[in-house]
Amino acid sequence: MSTTLRRANGELWLDLSGEKTFAAIKRSLAVQINTLDDYMLGAFVCLNVGTKQLTNKQVREIEDILLDHGLHLREIMSCPHQSDAAYPDKLVLEGMPEYGETLLLCRNLRSGQKISSNGNVVILGDINPGAEVVARGNILVMGSLRGIAHAGAGGDETAVVAAFRLNPTQIRIANHITRPPDGEVVTDRDPEVARIRDGKVIIDNLKI
Amino acid sequence: MKGKVIVITSGKGGVGKTTTTANLGTALAMMGQKVVLVDTDIGLRNLDVVMGLENRIVFDIVDLVNGHCKLKQALIRDKRFEGMSLLPAAQTKDKSSVTPHQMKNLTNELRKQYDFILVDCPAGIEQGFRNAIAGADDAIVVATPEVSSVRDADRIIGLLEAAGLSRARLIINRMRQSMVKRGDMMDIDDIIDILSIDLLGVVPEDELIIVSTNKGEPAVLETNSRAGGAYRRIARRIMGEEVALLDPNDNNSFMNRFKKIIKLAR
Repeated sequence: MSTTLRRANGELWLDLSGEKTFAAIKRSLAVQINTLDDYMLGAFVCLNVGTKQLTNKQVREIEDILLDHGLHLREIMSCPHQSDAAYPDKLVLEGMPEYGETLLLCRNLRSGQKISSNGNVVILGDINPGAEVVARGNILVMGSLRGIAHAGAGGDETAVVAAFRLNPTQIRIANHITRPPDGEVVTDRDPEVARIRDGKVIIDNLKI
Repeated sequence: MKGKVIVITSGKGGVGKTTTTANLGTALAMMGQKVVLVDTDIGLRNLDVVMGLENRIVFDIVDLVNGHCKLKQALIRDKRFEGMSLLPAAQTKDKSSVTPHQMKNLTNELRKQYDFILVDCPAGIEQGFRNAIAGADDAIVVATPEVSSVRDADRIIGLLEAAGLSRARLIINRMRQSMVKRGDMMDIDDIIDILSIDLLGVVPEDELIIVSTNKGEPAVLETNSRAGGAYRRIARRIMGEEVALLDPNDNNSFMNRFKKIIKLAR
């Protein structure tokens, strides 16, 4: 199968959706990387792996391959094989990165339960204390967030955590960790969003 | 298969699983149901003590599942109600002496003879818990109005859901309405808000429970026990009756009636 390589906005788009196995993905990734010029050093790479779901271990393997060539993994997209014309011109939309995949969860997450995603996570329900959500993208909770939410787990500091009732044990964005102040009295509040501004996690009212 | 297997669980220890099992079983037996209580807390058995049947144990659940005795030999007939029996846990073995598969077979056998099989689950989420829920059709989660208990109940509900028991119902035990009023205790709404499952009943804190546990006489047998009354109502609700939640305010106390007259109480 042919693979395609595109450059857009300083990023590399690699379409490996035609490859059937993880081994084949790795092989053509290596072939494509070897054709690159040195000036792409340090560039971010977006991979389209088609309909395949990669495990966390496989994602890490790909990251390692890219790092060996001085490249960073920005995103792994899972979508069906498509023609070149379908790529978006802009990856960044109003300062918020778009992640290819979004996990929709229509239940409560209870203590001891954990989900992780390579993209965004939207939860129609609560995240209870002792539960954990980890996403490389953004996290939106259409309920109470009482547990731990980690957005931008791949290092993306523009990721946000939004919740109808933001009342978390801890919020982590990229490599920042915050918790609510001790002794804070829980009151019913409006929907809020947590994001990083000036190197600190701040909480704003959610305005859409 | 006609009998219904209900597991009574909580995650946290000391919240009243065994007391609840003993009282609900007795209340159901009082209503003429054929009930068997199964103690799965192998190594730390208590249900026999609470039921006042400790001195009658010859064979236990481990003997039974390993084929050392017949079902009839292991079951202990209750001294008050003809239709109620107890299957005691072993005290000298541990939780791994029984497998979930054996529990499933056992509950299926009991289903043929009883209307209700109440399984008293040990604290924790390990093998004992997995054994207890193995054959269950329904689950009752017991929690006290404390953050740690509610946290563990939440974990347990998640595990029950994962095991296919998605319709667990909640009993809030040891509720102290006076503390709730002062804002010192979680109230029913706080707990339901977090756990988001159906509420089966609320049992008020009652000193008589300790007395009745020590005597081996379940509190439902005492007509003047508030907790006993709450358990009788819960049993009726299990039977499908529509019964209002017990008001732990105890609205019929003299002072409340007096306050009502002068319109102080709601």
